[in-house]
Amino acid sequence: MTAQTARIGFGDVRELRGPLLVVGDVDGVGWDEFATIDLPDGSVRHGLVLEVDGDLAVLQVLEGTDAISPGGVWVRFSGRPLQVRVGPDWYGRVCNGRGEPLDGGPPIAGEPRPVAGWPLNPTRREPPREAVLTGVSVLDTLTTLVRGQKLPIFSVPGMPHLTLATQIAARATTAGEGFRVVFAGMGLTHADIAYVRDRLEERSAAGELVLLLNAADDPVIERVLTPRIALTVAEHLAFERGDDVLVVMSDMTSYAEAVREVAAARREIPARRGYPGYLYSDLAGLYERCGRIQGRPGSVTVVPVLTMPAGDITHPVPDLTGYITEGQVVLAPEVAARGVYPPVDVLSSLSRLMRSGAGPGRTRDDHLPVAAQVLAALARARQAAELGELVGVSALSETDRAYLAFRETVERDLFAQGTDEGRELADSLDRAWAALDVLPRRELTMLPAAMVAEHLGSP
Amino acid sequence: MSRWEDELAPVRRALADAARREVDELGEATGRETEALAVRARADATELLDAARADGAAAGHAAAALVAARARREAHRVVLAERERLRVELVDRVVQAAAGLRDGPDYPALVARLEEVCRERLGPMAEVSPAPGGGVVAARGTRRLDLSLPLLAEQAALAVLEEADDPWS
Repeated sequence: MTAQTARIGFGDVRELRGPLLVVGDVDGVGWDEFATIDLPDGSVRHGLVLEVDGDLAVLQVLEGTDAISPGGVWVRFSGRPLQVRVGPDWYGRVCNGRGEPLDGGPPIAGEPRPVAGWPLNPTRREPPREAVLTGVSVLDTLTTLVRGQKLPIFSVPGMPHLTLATQIAARATTAGEGFRVVFAGMGLTHADIAYVRDRLEERSAAGELVLLLNAADDPVIERVLTPRIALTVAEHLAFERGDDVLVVMSDMTSYAEAVREVAAARREIPARRGYPGYLYSDLAGLYERCGRIQGRPGSVTVVPVLTMPAGDITHPVPDLTGYITEGQVVLAPEVAARGVYPPVDVLSSLSRLMRSGAGPGRTRDDHLPVAAQVLAALARARQAAELGELVGVSALSETDRAYLAFRETVERDLFAQGTDEGRELADSLDRAWAALDVLPRRELTMLPAAMVAEHLGSP
Repeated sequence: MSRWEDELAPVRRALADAARREVDELGEATGRETEALAVRARADATELLDAARADGAAAGHAAAALVAARARREAHRVVLAERERLRVELVDRVVQAAAGLRDGPDYPALVARLEEVCRERLGPMAEVSPAPGGGVVAARGTRRLDLSLPLLAEQAALAVLEEADDPWS
């Protein structure tokens, strides 16, 4: 025991306000410092310093301030920011949003790392490369995810985005060894938590999954920490152990609402729709932690899921997310209404880095032309469907009717798949070719003739 | 038979022939449609049966996967619970061992060192008193420094366990 490691308890608690605790007569306390709060009944809570003014420190209590009264409370500051232990001990574990075990096991052991983390140095970034195959046909074929990319899923409440997120987390893989998944669930109901655990059990049992689950009724500050803890764990596994790590974060709208709630408790000036003005930099601080680093083998790929309230894509959360991320996958109720799962609106979806991960030498030579042709044909099918609504399908030209038949075929045979089904990319591309066969050959203008002949035979 | 009837006879025959032809055609068309309907109904029935079989197989597969997943989770939970039990037991033993320090010959020197730390941190005016389980507790104003032996031992044990890369191997 040295004088430096002995931690003084400060007992001058002046105020308790929502999740905040104000303690006076403190010195040597810094911003973002982690603190332990000893309660009179012997229990312990934890807090983060939000502000320091003279001898006053404002703490955010991670477990909330319920049932705390100012007398007999002692606050001990740790002299460092909130840290999380990182290492392989995380594999196969299930923790809450603060990183505490939910599975009945001991706390996670390993090296301490600050949760806040840092975005990657732009000059040391390696461009994303090589595909992460999700096993979901529509994503792998048309919006290929690339190692080190951040590709959000935009959804609306009531859509099966959690099913899709867990399917990706359960099935995704890369060409090499050492693919791992960190799933951070935020604001989930207890039924959703049980669902996520069931869906990901196989990968968890294989020691390839880290599960962080923040429930809807957990304190909001915990929700603010959850993605940071997930990324801190992922960074260690990726950049120090060399694994390819996919971080799935669902639902980031719930996270942003927690940020708003905390900002309101701190009496910060609200900006658009009550969210704090720094929401953009806050989200960027999370999303920019993914990528690849020069000279290191691993990668962090991020798939955040966010729900757009009332389907409003101009809502601050999807709007700001769209500025930072490299494309988006949009789920559409009208596609779901046609009975297609996953209900991806492919014409609104885009993976900006797809060319870095798909095509010759990466996936298959025909991947990019087939994707381009399927998208072009679907765009034409949409026009034909709109025209058909006006004049009747029977009044459409033979070619337009072929495009409608193509859309039906491609949705049924390529896009639609079971919620537990994982498809190989080769199978998906073959299905795409089979759907394209519905169209007259003269319409396949984006495909080289030799490629068409190879896959569809002579006309 | 009147003359006009003779004259209309070809017309009658033509109309009757046309009507017979129409009846024949309608009959054939009806037959074709009936056949087509029957073929379509059979195809629909086969499709429905196939879909129902596929749904049933998928549901069965999902249910089996769920049962297997829950069994694996339960097995994992048992292992983790045992690890946690051992961890708690280890910490308890360290705390008990620390309590034994009170009877050792070095205890007065240890307490003196702890009192020194208290005064270093809280100032010379700190009130230092012995803690119930050994060690000392110091206070000055609204500040307190708990250097009781059980707390110090627990913190030390937890720190060692958390720092270890894999304490269970």
